[in-house]
Amino acid sequence: MKKTIQLLSVILISGVILSFLAGCGGKGDTEAEKFLVVFSQCNNAEPYRATQNKRMNELFSKQPDVDLAIYDGQADAGKQISQIENAIRQKPHLLIVAPLQRDSLTKVMGEAVAAGIPTICLERDILEPNYTTFIRSDNFKIGRLAGQWIVDHLTKKHGEPKGNMVELHGSKGVEGAINRHGGCADVLKEHPNIKVVHSATANWFQPEAMDRMTEALNANPSGIDVVYAHNDPMAYGAYLSAKEKGREKEMVFVGVDGLTHEGVKYVHEGVLGVTFVYPLCVDKAVEIGTKMLRDPSFTPEKEYSIESSMILPENAAKILGEAAE
Amino acid sequence: MGVFLKADGINKSFGGVQALKNVSFALEPGEVHALIGENGAGKSTLGKIIAGVLRPDSGQIVLDGHETSIQRPTDAQKLGISIIFQELDLFPNLTVAENIAIGNLKLEKSPFVSFRQLALHCRPFLDQVGLDCTADTVLKELSIGQMQLVAIARSLSMDARVIVMDEATSSLTEDAVGNLFDVIGQLKGKGVSIVYVSHKMDEIFRIADRITVLRDGSYIGTRPSREADADELIQMMVGRELSGKGRAEGHATTSRILEIADLSTDRLEEVSFTLHRGEVLGIAGLVGSGRSEIGAALFGLDKISGGTISLKNSPYSPSSPRDAVRKGIGLLPEDRKLMGLIAQMSVKQNMSLASLDGCSSGGWVEEAQESSKYLAAAKQTRLKTAGPDVEVTSLSGGNQQKVLVGRWLMVSPDVYFLDDPTRGVDVGAKEDIYAIIEELAAAGKGILFVSSELPELLRCCDRIMVMHNGRMTGIMDAMSATQEGIMSLAMAMEGAAE
Amino acid sequence: MKDRFLAVLKTYKGPLVLVGIFLVAVLISPRTTRGEIIFLGLGNLTDMLRAITPIAIMSLSMTFVILTAGIDLSVGSMLALSGVVTGTLLVEWDPGLLPSVQIGTAIISAIVACGLVGMLNGVLIATLGIQPFIVTLAAMIGVRGLALWFSNNERIGLGVGSDVAGSFGDMFSGKWLMIGTFLVLATVFAVVLRRTVFGRYVRAVGDNALASRYAGLPLRRVQIAVYTMSGLLAGIAGVLLCARTTTGDPNAGITSELDAIAVVVIGGTSLAGGKGSIIGTINGALIIGILTNILGLRNVDFNMQLMLKALIIIVAVALQRKKVSN
Repeated sequence: MKKTIQLLSVILISGVILSFLAGCGGKGDTEAEKFLVVFSQCNNAEPYRATQNKRMNELFSKQPDVDLAIYDGQADAGKQISQIENAIRQKPHLLIVAPLQRDSLTKVMGEAVAAGIPTICLERDILEPNYTTFIRSDNFKIGRLAGQWIVDHLTKKHGEPKGNMVELHGSKGVEGAINRHGGCADVLKEHPNIKVVHSATANWFQPEAMDRMTEALNANPSGIDVVYAHNDPMAYGAYLSAKEKGREKEMVFVGVDGLTHEGVKYVHEGVLGVTFVYPLCVDKAVEIGTKMLRDPSFTPEKEYSIESSMILPENAAKILGEAAE
Repeated sequence: MGVFLKADGINKSFGGVQALKNVSFALEPGEVHALIGENGAGKSTLGKIIAGVLRPDSGQIVLDGHETSIQRPTDAQKLGISIIFQELDLFPNLTVAENIAIGNLKLEKSPFVSFRQLALHCRPFLDQVGLDCTADTVLKELSIGQMQLVAIARSLSMDARVIVMDEATSSLTEDAVGNLFDVIGQLKGKGVSIVYVSHKMDEIFRIADRITVLRDGSYIGTRPSREADADELIQMMVGRELSGKGRAEGHATTSRILEIADLSTDRLEEVSFTLHRGEVLGIAGLVGSGRSEIGAALFGLDKISGGTISLKNSPYSPSSPRDAVRKGIGLLPEDRKLMGLIAQMSVKQNMSLASLDGCSSGGWVEEAQESSKYLAAAKQTRLKTAGPDVEVTSLSGGNQQKVLVGRWLMVSPDVYFLDDPTRGVDVGAKEDIYAIIEELAAAGKGILFVSSELPELLRCCDRIMVMHNGRMTGIMDAMSATQEGIMSLAMAMEGAAE
Repeated sequence: MKDRFLAVLKTYKGPLVLVGIFLVAVLISPRTTRGEIIFLGLGNLTDMLRAITPIAIMSLSMTFVILTAGIDLSVGSMLALSGVVTGTLLVEWDPGLLPSVQIGTAIISAIVACGLVGMLNGVLIATLGIQPFIVTLAAMIGVRGLALWFSNNERIGLGVGSDVAGSFGDMFSGKWLMIGTFLVLATVFAVVLRRTVFGRYVRAVGDNALASRYAGLPLRRVQIAVYTMSGLLAGIAGVLLCARTTTGDPNAGITSELDAIAVVVIGGTSLAGGKGSIIGTINGALIIGILTNILGLRNVDFNMQLMLKALIIIVAVALQRKKVSN
């Protein structure tokens, strides 16, 4: 019977550990005077999204009566849907969703709204307006800004808008990649002498960008003027590949996202010529969300669009200085 | 000479079964002490307890007058006690030297291995057991008999004073057995004691000084081997008189059921014989002589490269074991554990495995049908089991073998190929298996009966064929055959070729 | 009385873990303002069941595969293949058929495609004698490529409209349809394993392939059948996931083969083959489902959730381990 006693004790102990861990990890005691805010993040593993999470934590921690819970959808639509369902059961006072995909999250967000939960859709669009408000940044606009900068840069370099460009795409079929490409192409189509000599998909990843850029460099032994990458890590990867071949001075690297510890730093170091901030949208979301929580008479707009800003060597130092404080 | 190792009041049970009941055992220096008994009598368990492989539930091992606390094999090794298993616990892909040195406490001080040093270290031990091979030979290139000698050399390298040998000769050829006994004789002269676990009566008389008999986990008695006689020992082992010896009238008819002409495979050369309904045809020969290989060819395991087979008067060439079963051949494999039992399944499911097509309709198992067929087969084999649903591994070796025999009884093929069906089986179960063979013959089946034990071939068969080196070297009536005659045929080819 | 209780305890260790986790979940579940236990709400329990359905379905056939001492690493990729086949046939194909006929064709094509991949796995394993790990590892890589190629690297959105694609999404993501599909399949698989000749063969082959050969069992057919079933069920799971996420995603299910294996293992099935049951696997799926659900309800930090799941896998398997004989 010794074994049975061992068995029982193992079960008991694991039960205790489980409840202990669950207890200390849990932040969601639904006490009446506290606000529960759930943020359903689609994938913690991306640096941009990790930064969103960090910023959201920072801002809400200034409000001691708010409990913030962040869920990680792990880039899996099924998981994110289940997590939002799980959140609906808890009836949070505010639900913020950064959807993984346009299609997949539409229905479940509709269920949240139907359950009377104030819902903010963050940054990515969904198929139907199943949200209280949509806080977005505009990738197409960013693409246009990048395109315009490239045109200006080449005009300065060659006296007219002409030259050769390499474009490194984010994951196929993702809104960010489609619109960052689309906006830029929209500008460049006015300037037929600017040619895209190489175009490759690097799935947002720096290591993949290094491989794709090496191929681009091999295919074009000289004369590349611009590398436009849909995010900063890919632009940085492209730079490393060019440097390996001693060709980094031949061209200028353009990135997007402008996170302080990535893009801004790269611009400051002279690695990138420019990057465009893809706004985290978190500051606005917390501002609007806080009003929704505390001011019953407040009705948010259906949509807020956050403008991008350009990071050039001139302003990079200042931003880095501010961030260091 | 005084006792130097003593096991006192040993009790051991597995699950609910008491394997040893208050057993005591004493060993003198330089003696070969045989432990005998039917399978399940507890002899292996006692050997393993002495060597520290198993821990007794209660009782003491006293060495040189001191109580020991042996918790694991390394404790026993430090005290100079080692064990050599039936299934050798050696490493087939390492060299002889590495096998001897591995786990040797004295050699593990440095993390690096020098092969030259190893070879030097091992040489004297290899010489001692008379093994004539270089230390860097890879183990799997040796014969089983040679491997056994490596295992003994390994024990010697650990300064063993007591070596427990568990069924050491079960897979050895006659030559290798002789060689092994020579080595044992030498060890004895040097004061090493051997605990010799076996159920082979002739070997025991050749080698043992004293014989201890166990039955059903209890100590029955110890006899000096000079004074013991086989009948007395057998009676001590089984606790009852065995049924009469010798074959009654045969059942062989003249109706041919299986005809083999010039059958060749990779391992057989032009074997020809005929089997009749009701006939028990024995196949003698050493391991590897081609006796099991006849079964492999008949059962669709080996590709047939030449010759013809006719089964029930129609041409037969099996494409797979499944095909062979369908066409009416059943094969009881030589290795029960490896080729026979489904360890996780119950006794009943093991028995019905090959005949499920016959106890099912539309793919569904008809459990009532399965159970009734099982009961019939269990009864015919005189199976002793706690019930149809207990795990097959809970049975003794003899009963496990009966389950496999029962598996084919449920299929009821026309021809049975029984490959050493009594190997490692206790005396009582052997008798039951002989009885089943007799019943099958009476029912008009054809039986091919492979065995290493000549007395049982002489007793059970109508005719006996002898294999050597993939060829048939003779076939004779059992009535006129002798052990000596068969043995010389089994060896003959070498003599004739030279 | 006490002995009987202990005996029951010993026999049913797996369900014991499930009951334990269920009780802990009830105890630590947050409550609504009216004091109701949120975890026990019908809505929440069915959410939980639907969430585990795709993995649970794949784990049924994975149980068969593992019982034969095999493994199928390609189910995650087949899940994606099924999704993109379904999505493509619903969105980019316009045959002018009745919507229900088109939906049926899409579903059957997806399931059959995966069944064929599974059958190919089985044929390679059975006839070439390559280890299942290697064959299905290759399939995992190759089928992922196939799914990406077929979908041109793009997610195929079904939309939420009332067209063919949208109505497929509505129809097949229904809670009861998803849960019901799983229950029906689970029943079928449990009965097949327990009551049919094939089920008996699956266990025998996994426990001792050589002995099964010597008993004249159809080894190859058993292997081909279990891998084909694995493909078919991955296909069904893929269709349901596609409906649920209203997307045919070529990157879906990237580690779900491991999730399915984890469920099977928690259910007490031995990776060495021969030992295990469908009931155990259902049990394993519920353990993972409840754990994920309650940790979510409690807002336990996500990284902590992963560590807890690891703990549960070890505890559940350790409890069901067959006692090592001395």
